[in-house]
Amino acid sequence: MAVAGAGMLCAQVNTNTNAVDEILALVTTNASAVKPPPRPETLIEADGPADFDLAGRRVVYHEHVRVDSPDMKMRCEWLAADLPQTGGRVTNIVAETNVVIDATDDKGQKMHATGDRAVYVFNVQNGVTNETITLTGNARLENTQGWLTGDSIIWDRANDRLSVPSNPKMVFHQTLNGALAGTNAPVEGTHPPPAATNSVANDTNVPPALTNRPSAAK
Amino acid sequence: MPVTCHPPQVTRLLLAGVILVLAATDNRAQSNVMSHANDFTSVEYYPAPNQQQIRSRLSGAEAQPLPGGLLAIKQLKLETFELNGRPEIVVNAPECTYDQLNGTASSPGRLQVQYQDGKIRVEGEGFLWRQNDSFLTISNRPSTVLQFGPEKRN
Repeated sequence: MAVAGAGMLCAQVNTNTNAVDEILALVTTNASAVKPPPRPETLIEADGPADFDLAGRRVVYHEHVRVDSPDMKMRCEWLAADLPQTGGRVTNIVAETNVVIDATDDKGQKMHATGDRAVYVFNVQNGVTNETITLTGNARLENTQGWLTGDSIIWDRANDRLSVPSNPKMVFHQTLNGALAGTNAPVEGTHPPPAATNSVANDTNVPPALTNRPSAAK
Repeated sequence: MPVTCHPPQVTRLLLAGVILVLAATDNRAQSNVMSHANDFTSVEYYPAPNQQQIRSRLSGAEAQPLPGGLLAIKQLKLETFELNGRPEIVVNAPECTYDQLNGTASSPGRLQVQYQDGKIRVEGEGFLWRQNDSFLTISNRPSTVLQFGPEKRN
């Protein structure tokens, strides 16, 4: 496991705990209070055909599908999206096979994610916006702070959080505690020399004891 | 002379502002054969109980009959409508072949699609439109621009 930097943290639990949440929040693309810009255009291209099912309100793209928006690029081999009602917006996108997502947050931090399948869901319930991207199948997410894997990785875009419901594993390139981690290793290495010194001292004690015997014989 | 066509059950073929060049005017040609028409329109309605509501309208600047009940249409415009009458999709193509019997329109050429007043714009090369189930396949290099969709959160 090649990890840049001195510090490393591996978390392996079966449930999503508060501690894991806090750790995950470190690698999350954090939000700022900046007012969102006008909605950007998203371009979807494919090498293969595109099927528009107007009755089923769904479009499917085939073969080397590319999705490009100002803050996110995605590549996959198959993509299906719903066609919104009038005045609505795309609420469900499913991408499958060799899914690669490259995103940049408002701070310019890049994120790279891969998986076998990605599902985008948008809805508003009781005035609360839910917008998530769920990666499954060899799901892996990486940014400058580290990388994260799990059975699934849920990117909550509405709240700018990542969560891994099961089997999470995270490695991050530590920066703040890096110096401490580097100091520990030499400390462990200094223990053997004192032990070796004690044995020499014991050996040294033997000759004086032997020396006393002749004196007693006299 | 009226022109008789045999479109799918729910489809009517209208020839408004018709200019017919009838072969009957030529002694060498057969009668009752439409050789050319302008302002071609074919309308499909929703099934009952919404049979008064237009589901799709396929129109063209020119229609040229081809063997097998086909029509070569120039300046195709295909429009579909939601049940409430709102425009849904508009397809424009320089030319296509319309199969009256099967209710399909196809072309190897380019097309442009606008969905929801242009909030979704699609271009591509080669297409097949199935009128009966409102299914459009863009064969090559489909390119879609969404004016909404996955939205950046800040």
